[in-house]
Amino acid sequence: MKNRQRKINAAGILNAAPVIGLILLAAVFVIIALVKDINLSYSFKNIVNQSIITMVVATGAIYIYTLGAFDISLGASMCVSAIVGAMAFNRTGSLAVMLAVCLGCAVLISLISSLLASVFNLPVFVTTIAMLSLLNALVMVLIRANGTGDVVQVPAAAVRSINNVWFRLLVLALFMILCVTTFNYMKLGRQEKFVGGNPLCAKLTGMNAKKLSVIGFMMAGIGVGLGAFLTIVYAPTLSRNTAGSVGMDVIISIVFGGMPVSGGARSRITSAAVGALSMTMLSQIMLVLNLDSGISQMVKAAIFLLVVSVSMLNSRKQILPR
Amino acid sequence: MSRGKRIAGALAIPAGVLIVCMLISMSCGVSLFGSPLSRITFVRAGANVLLVTFALSINLNSGRFDFSIGSAALLSSVISSMITLKLNAGPVVMLILSVVIGGILGLLSGFVYVTVKLPPIIVSLGMALFYEGMAFTLTGGHGVSFASNTALLGFGTVTNYLLISAAALILMIAVFDHTSFGYEYKALVSGQKVAVNTGIREVPNALICYLIAGALMGAQGFISATNNGAITMSLNFGSISPMFMAFLPMFIGGFIGRYTSDKVGYLLGALTSATISLTYIRLDIPSSTQQIVSALLMVTFLIYLNNEGKLKQLLKH
Repeated sequence: MKNRQRKINAAGILNAAPVIGLILLAAVFVIIALVKDINLSYSFKNIVNQSIITMVVATGAIYIYTLGAFDISLGASMCVSAIVGAMAFNRTGSLAVMLAVCLGCAVLISLISSLLASVFNLPVFVTTIAMLSLLNALVMVLIRANGTGDVVQVPAAAVRSINNVWFRLLVLALFMILCVTTFNYMKLGRQEKFVGGNPLCAKLTGMNAKKLSVIGFMMAGIGVGLGAFLTIVYAPTLSRNTAGSVGMDVIISIVFGGMPVSGGARSRITSAAVGALSMTMLSQIMLVLNLDSGISQMVKAAIFLLVVSVSMLNSRKQILPR
Repeated sequence: MSRGKRIAGALAIPAGVLIVCMLISMSCGVSLFGSPLSRITFVRAGANVLLVTFALSINLNSGRFDFSIGSAALLSSVISSMITLKLNAGPVVMLILSVVIGGILGLLSGFVYVTVKLPPIIVSLGMALFYEGMAFTLTGGHGVSFASNTALLGFGTVTNYLLISAAALILMIAVFDHTSFGYEYKALVSGQKVAVNTGIREVPNALICYLIAGALMGAQGFISATNNGAITMSLNFGSISPMFMAFLPMFIGGFIGRYTSDKVGYLLGALTSATISLTYIRLDIPSSTQQIVSALLMVTFLIYLNNEGKLKQLLKH
């Protein structure tokens, strides 16, 4: 009995490893900032500003990852949505239209990916690789057709009123409420975890995996659309490199936040936020320590592997994982 | 299946694509293989794609997705070129160094994977970041230029690219089709748990897979570096893009593998891909159009592959 309790406690600590990691990183950052006499409130504002877009996109992406699927085209989708949203703003001058177009475009792209996968029985990952290629090409076509030179711009003055940390936090909070509610307190989340954990059993109990996949991709699309809107607000000059690293940042954040890439029952909607915040905090520490970009990336890689190893200690099997 | 049917099945896609590409080129008044430069471009593209396809397929067939192969190619070419430039040596020395260092980097990725026992996709993300960071640090972010040793640029001949491709093909066939390691690899691919329970040692097998994949990527990094005359740095996963060129040939190779060995299938898939690339170049097609056409080709081919049974049934009715 005691052994069992000890095992449960250990598992709880390991599950909390990403949050403990985030607290430790924050503590390290505060100590370094105090020693180096750095403005803490400005630095934390910076961290929030930098991580919020990844947090929003990655939180939406949890719905895809929970199913055990994987979308590598999220960054490209966000870039296309932002460019189309910016074009809509330049035509109408309305921020509401820009938001609606960003959301609509991102959800549409997500729906195309999921429908391609479900209707034609294609592996989701392969579909998203093809979508990545198509969307990257679409970015070039859109910029060439509608841009000024190599960029598409929205006047900075037009978005100045909402270009602040509070607006970004409000968007994140609203989206998190939607996601936490649907994921933790409604059957959507439970069904997604079931399908991700055991697709055959879920099918035998009557769950429609294809329908869940489409809904999952739609939720991810909402995250991407909001991310695109926030990107325009934060940096109104869009180029082909916009959101270039978002696709990979999302994967890193989700994993760093303690979520298994295989999805299933251990999926947590808050993983993305914890992971994105941790990664940005780590980058800021490197920046404050004035480390070379290469060394900084090597340290990030080592810490990433270490934290993920610790958080997954209790899910090791005899055979090598695939 | 008769021999004739197997040959016809294996050659149908590459020959069909070649004919279509030649017809399109001719209709635009361009000869596909008309100049020596076209031939070098074709063979080089074929060699590049073949090496990446082999490297990716070794682990992907085992369910191990490896994002770090591009960064292994980058770092191995950086280290080998720095040594070669310091010694003022020739391209053969750099090639050997690239292959050896690539193998070591691959082995290191494999070692981390079998040690931490995390899903390979996570390990490969970490290793890709690590290798990119190391390459950046070694060159101070400036990359490597071969301006001081132009002999390295003279490697790019049809014969040399053919030799590298042939060596890679022979290595793959010899190791995976004619050794006990290869048999064990196939057993692990088709039934990991059963294979392990029957006594197959999975860890050494995985390590050798990573080693070979790394060595192949070392050779690919060498070809890329000596062709460009410089190595530019990538951070934040900028090095993963070479991996994407291998998917179409890998799927085509998998299909052709029904009629012949899968390795020959990958070779024919790489040649198909190189033919398409050459057509893009000869017809001066914009890169956005190239990306769209390639993605659509891949999706169409996959739709066919994944719905072959249904399509055949539809045609019967």
